[in-house]
Amino acid sequence: MATAFDSTFTNGWMDRFAASAHATETELTTLDQQVGDGDFGVNLSAGVRATQRLRSESDGNAAAGAAQDDPSAPLGSAASAFLDEIGGTSGPLFGLLFQALSAAVAAEGPLLTTTGLAAGTENGLAAIRRVGDAKPGDKTLVDALTPAAEALRAAPDGTPPDRALALAADAAWQGVRDTAALRARMGRASYVGERASGIPDPGAVGVALLFASAAGTIGSLGPHLRITG
Amino acid sequence: MAAYFENSTDDLVPNALAGFARAHADLVVHDVENGFLAARHTSPSRRVGLLSGGGSGHEPMHAGFVGAGMLDAACPGRVFASPHNRQVYKASLAVARDEGVLHIVKNYTGDRINFGIAAERLAHQDIPCARVLVDDDLASDSEDIAAGRRGTGGTVLLEKILGGAADTGLGLEELAGLGAALAGRCRTLSVASTAHTAPTTGRPAFELAAGELEYGVGIHGERADRTRKEGPVSALVREMTDALLAAVRPAPEEPVLALVNGLGAVTPLELYGIFGELGQVLDERGVHLARHLVGDYVTALDMRGFSLTLLVADSRTLGYYDAPVRTAALSW
Repeated sequence: MATAFDSTFTNGWMDRFAASAHATETELTTLDQQVGDGDFGVNLSAGVRATQRLRSESDGNAAAGAAQDDPSAPLGSAASAFLDEIGGTSGPLFGLLFQALSAAVAAEGPLLTTTGLAAGTENGLAAIRRVGDAKPGDKTLVDALTPAAEALRAAPDGTPPDRALALAADAAWQGVRDTAALRARMGRASYVGERASGIPDPGAVGVALLFASAAGTIGSLGPHLRITG
Repeated sequence: MAAYFENSTDDLVPNALAGFARAHADLVVHDVENGFLAARHTSPSRRVGLLSGGGSGHEPMHAGFVGAGMLDAACPGRVFASPHNRQVYKASLAVARDEGVLHIVKNYTGDRINFGIAAERLAHQDIPCARVLVDDDLASDSEDIAAGRRGTGGTVLLEKILGGAADTGLGLEELAGLGAALAGRCRTLSVASTAHTAPTTGRPAFELAAGELEYGVGIHGERADRTRKEGPVSALVREMTDALLAAVRPAPEEPVLALVNGLGAVTPLELYGIFGELGQVLDERGVHLARHLVGDYVTALDMRGFSLTLLVADSRTLGYYDAPVRTAALSW
């Protein structure tokens, strides 16, 4: 019996995120050239490409008799890919988010609830903040991840994950729009001062793409899945 | 024309690491795939692995301090660039003991983030990890500098003392606490009369007029907030020593460790002269100079400059400092 968070969902999520990253690479690069060092689009693309490679390698292992149908595996591959193979700062920070999401899915398995997803997102946010020292308002990916985590946490008990993820994606996009008005305090954008005003933070866009990919995937799978609350 | 004797800028660091590993094969093992150097022999009484790292270009730091009685591993980055979190993570896995691993991190944004990401990965695997942040640079002690004081020459003294302490079997939290206390009582001040040669351009990282001195430089060629006339070295050392003493404030009976460190292109002849001046100023101020190091320990490529470090210790700290050490750059 399929559920919302079986490997059909997490595989679809990572596929859709990869497609989003490739489709927006040029735009993200342009944004990062205006506010940062111009490598975010390339790093995100490289991260999803490395993720796909690790996933196909682990599929090969699964076919050879290892554990199959582990819903946390695609997120675990993303964690390894972004942490091990991507340089710069933002890429590995995405790796920490994937690590926390993977742990949340592994803890609850196919019965992952909105509450579990919220916990995974919050743990990822907490790790990113511990490492990077960024606060909301510093014009970083934290400005999209914080409202996404809050939307998931604020969803009433029993909110179906597809609905919760749609709310999280909307909140993340609102966070992205809000970063345009902010002056950067952290990261490379902090050196360009007022010249970054009006331009959204590319790392925040990456986070919004991740939640939009989750929402889109679960939305399209909905009719075929038993959604657990 | 290349500014350095190298095949290319890209292979300067890998070639140096391979050569270092071969030259000191009795002391270190080079994990080429994961990009770190680990000690071949360490004390079995150690319950915590000690790990440091950072950009290359500061030789003998970091690899020079890997060995018995000091670091279990070092992760070198590219020139003046932080190591990747993967290097730190893999090295931590390799050297963690029962009580985990202690990261000795100099306060630079890239190092903080990459060691921090590695620490999160270790936590995810339930491997205990703590951090000692070295932020001893007096010149960056300003409320205007949000990133805080930089980490520089004091790193050597902290790594030696923490190595001696780790060999006595201290636990992770005890070592982290000791490291924080040491960092709080350690300050360094650096000056330069010529910038280092930037590897990418072959040009000096900054220009100084003849007879001018940059007072308060960083180890990556960061300029200081003031430039002054060079003048005789005795006045310079006196001014620097008094600034350091005002910051660390040793009580009359407290033992002080001093490091006179060349930044890459100052001769031993000059460094010993500088140490002589330092010793005289400390004598005049009634400061008990208990131990000292003189030489190139934390360099900035070929920068023509030096740093002075003072660390206020106690008898326990001195015991850890005096404990045996066998590394490429420090041995007794």
